[in-house]
Amino acid sequence: MGEQALKLWKDWRLHVIVLAIVAVTESIGTFAIPLGPGTILLLPMLYAVVIGLALYFTPLVNDKQSINAEPLVFLSVSVLIAKFGVQAGPALPQIIEAGPALLLQEFGNLGTIFLALPLAVFLGLKRESIGMTHSIGREANLALITDKYGLSSPEGRGVMAMYIFGTVFGSIFIGLISGFLATVTPLHPISFAMATGVGSGSMAAASLGPLVAAFPEMSETLTAFSGVSNLISSVTGLYMSIFVGLPLTVKMYEILSKNKEKKEKAAKGGVNYVKKS
Amino acid sequence: MLKSLKEWVLVFIIIGAIMLTGNWIGYDVLPWNALPGIAILIGISLAGLIVHRLLPFQLPSIAYIGIIGLILTIPGMPGAEQIVMYTTEVNLLAIATPILAYAGVSIGRSWFDFVQLGWKTIVIGMFVLLGTFLGSAVIAEVILRFQGII
Repeated sequence: MGEQALKLWKDWRLHVIVLAIVAVTESIGTFAIPLGPGTILLLPMLYAVVIGLALYFTPLVNDKQSINAEPLVFLSVSVLIAKFGVQAGPALPQIIEAGPALLLQEFGNLGTIFLALPLAVFLGLKRESIGMTHSIGREANLALITDKYGLSSPEGRGVMAMYIFGTVFGSIFIGLISGFLATVTPLHPISFAMATGVGSGSMAAASLGPLVAAFPEMSETLTAFSGVSNLISSVTGLYMSIFVGLPLTVKMYEILSKNKEKKEKAAKGGVNYVKKS
Repeated sequence: MLKSLKEWVLVFIIIGAIMLTGNWIGYDVLPWNALPGIAILIGISLAGLIVHRLLPFQLPSIAYIGIIGLILTIPGMPGAEQIVMYTTEVNLLAIATPILAYAGVSIGRSWFDFVQLGWKTIVIGMFVLLGTFLGSAVIAEVILRFQGII
């Protein structure tokens, strides 16, 4: 941000397009799709990201708009963060009471290592899987992996792939699953609100939106907890990756890939044995 | 600093106008009723961006914005009730929709890189997001239940 952000306000084409997207999507409104015991909420913001993406492939949007849109995401996220802040103040006693949960849930962000890393190794990925699964793979993590391994290393390719995936699909995917998980699992909406601080502004918006829409009577509390969780993640997230997430991923990768090699060798040995006989 | 301040103000006026429109169409709040609220939120954002520039610490600017908003609305702070009252008029979802509209336009450029990712990356990516999100929620749930809060 700053000096290079030149004349963003002059890109009228971009602002008019976004205004039109907002007007259209807010007019369409919210749809709830029952899916088994849960509900998938289709919110205006979800149509907005899809329409915005689709417009890139029309003559309406040029590369210039697309480039300018990036700092505008950042500046509009800052309004969201301000909203988080003013919701958090009045809820401060509640937040302090729930302090331990708020702090410790940061360790839950390591859940990716236990869920996604074994899958990546199972699917046959090598050291790429370290870059891919050590974190949610946003800007800070991209910088960390690049700094440590270089961008052309397998780890670097992994984190880059995840960065691209998250950029394009992250907010759509998390926007779809957040409301669904909150309605289908026995977990409390407040727990999910605390989980929205994943380290990306647009993903925070996309994951909190369905929660607020599904539980409107709790909207202020949910926003407050989401806000504090985002605040904590923004301060601790990178250090969490450096000191816990990445070392843990590397260790787990070594164990998993050794096990896999052993099994493969055993399987091969077995086949040879059969052949010989 | 002054140059980017002017730039920020102009951009925020545009973004604010878009948010007011969405707040009106989607959530039936008349723009002039939500205007003080959005002005306050923009003021807090600007204050956070400026403090971020001025202080030497390596904290992201959104951390300052969140902290300023929080401090201003702690019960007992002068004006806290008014700030809460006005900003309540600005619906959270009305703020989120323009963010994701800008994000949609911005991610168009990454689309060709995206389609070149293999199916394995896409599947693993979904598990990364799922694991991160669900992992936090489960830990929060366990501790909140242990404390008897929920």
